[in-house]
Amino acid sequence: MFTTFYRLIKTGFTNFLRNGWLSLASTIIMTLTLITISIFLILNIVLTQGIQTIQDKIDISIYLSDSAKGSKVLDLQKELSNNPDVKVVKYVSKDEAKQRYQEKFANNPQLKESLDDGGDNPLPASLEIKTYNPDKLSTLLPMFEQEKYKNMIRKVSYKENKEVIDRLFKATEFIKKIGWGLAAAFIITSLIIIFNTIRTAIYTHKSEIEIMKLVGANPWFIKWPFLIEGILYGIFGTILALIAISITLRLLSVSFNTYFGSGDTGDQVLGFLMKNLVTLVVLMLGVGITIGVTSSSIAIRKYLKKS
Amino acid sequence: MIYLKDVTKVYDKSKKKALDNISVHIKPKEFVIFVGLSGAGKSTLTKLVTHEEEPTSGKITVGGIDYSKLKKKDVPYLRRKIGVVFQDFKLLPKKTVYENISYALEVAGISNKTIRSRVPQVLKMVGLEGKAKRFPRELSGGEMQRVAIARALIHEPKILIADEPTGNLDPKNAWEIIDLLLKVNEYGTTVILTTHNKEIVNTLKKRVITLKGGKLIKDQEVGRYALQ
Repeated sequence: MFTTFYRLIKTGFTNFLRNGWLSLASTIIMTLTLITISIFLILNIVLTQGIQTIQDKIDISIYLSDSAKGSKVLDLQKELSNNPDVKVVKYVSKDEAKQRYQEKFANNPQLKESLDDGGDNPLPASLEIKTYNPDKLSTLLPMFEQEKYKNMIRKVSYKENKEVIDRLFKATEFIKKIGWGLAAAFIITSLIIIFNTIRTAIYTHKSEIEIMKLVGANPWFIKWPFLIEGILYGIFGTILALIAISITLRLLSVSFNTYFGSGDTGDQVLGFLMKNLVTLVVLMLGVGITIGVTSSSIAIRKYLKKS
Repeated sequence: MIYLKDVTKVYDKSKKKALDNISVHIKPKEFVIFVGLSGAGKSTLTKLVTHEEEPTSGKITVGGIDYSKLKKKDVPYLRRKIGVVFQDFKLLPKKTVYENISYALEVAGISNKTIRSRVPQVLKMVGLEGKAKRFPRELSGGEMQRVAIARALIHEPKILIADEPTGNLDPKNAWEIIDLLLKVNEYGTTVILTTHNKEIVNTLKKRVITLKGGKLIKDQEVGRYALQ
């Protein structure tokens, strides 16, 4: 039993090595297939991470009218603090607003000095709110509509940003959908190519399969070395794909970081991959081996039908 | 050993009778030559015996096994009892001489120890010691046919079928192969040789069965080549 098992594996390995070009071609096609699948998975992670980054940056600024009474502002601040969804409420005074403005435009003297001209500070005081979950921002809105606060609130900035944010969400959703469509198309194409490559590889062994049958080999004794070759395509395809992907990601992570501004999405993606390396390897191996074995199995069936 | 009773074979594609109502009895340890031109039905006959093809009608019994009752899963075990040698050698190109022969034992689950002792013996018998590590492409036609014979003999089969084994060989190599077949027959194996080589048929003075257009036209105990 063990002898037979060992022989089948050894024959599979030997065939893989001796079939040189065909093995190389099948392995490269397998690598490309796995890279395609992984890239779409990674892109999906990047997009999700990107949205997360943007969502983290969203908060509400409530601009207060200059006539707002201190006690009422405190009331609102207290009410917000008591809300379980709210993470931080920060009061930004008129002076602080001015200071921030001047810092922001430090490199633009014209804008910076525009505030100093009249002497009166036109910038409003505000309450800056961050929530635990950006989705909950909208649930806070009714609070500001209340009669008691109506006169003291000049503007809620979320309302203006909302449209932009919504549009961004819609765009990313759209990109994701197209992404999955493209991924599906690519994966199907790759599957067809890899299946045909393996089929061609087995076709070249047609006469050998005949000979094996003639010397009295059982169908499974003929079949298994081919399946093991299929498994090897999957294993080597995974190794090559992992090498290619990690090199590409390392090179790209710098530009990811730049693209997402102060965020560190590139590093996050890399970090995420490193953390989930085992999952990724298992996933790729699973996909690769399944494709290899299924293709080999389907391709060889035809030649084993007849005794 | 081998009984064919009223065997007719019609191939689906051509609809022509490749074999037409053939009845033959071959006794154990016999050396029988099937003679016929291309298309006479020689190869079809050997394929029926190895169960590569099934007869359209008639009965085939080999070594007590009724082929009509043979299950598909038992065919590999039958093949291990019948050695076959072909005109085009049919060696596995990606396997060495040694591996080509040992493969026939591996498929039968024979232990490595037995394989290591048996393969060199057979290689010596066919005169190929020292060429075990060569690949078929590195051998001459005569040498390839010896490998094929070694492979056919490794199971010590009761029957050896040689289908035009000398067809691709020069006269010197052809005779060496024939001598090898005679030697195998002396050891007690039933040999079926198909050929259309007149010189070989006339020199051997063995039983000759002549086929023409799928019909058996002559069966002589000590035969001569009778075709024009």
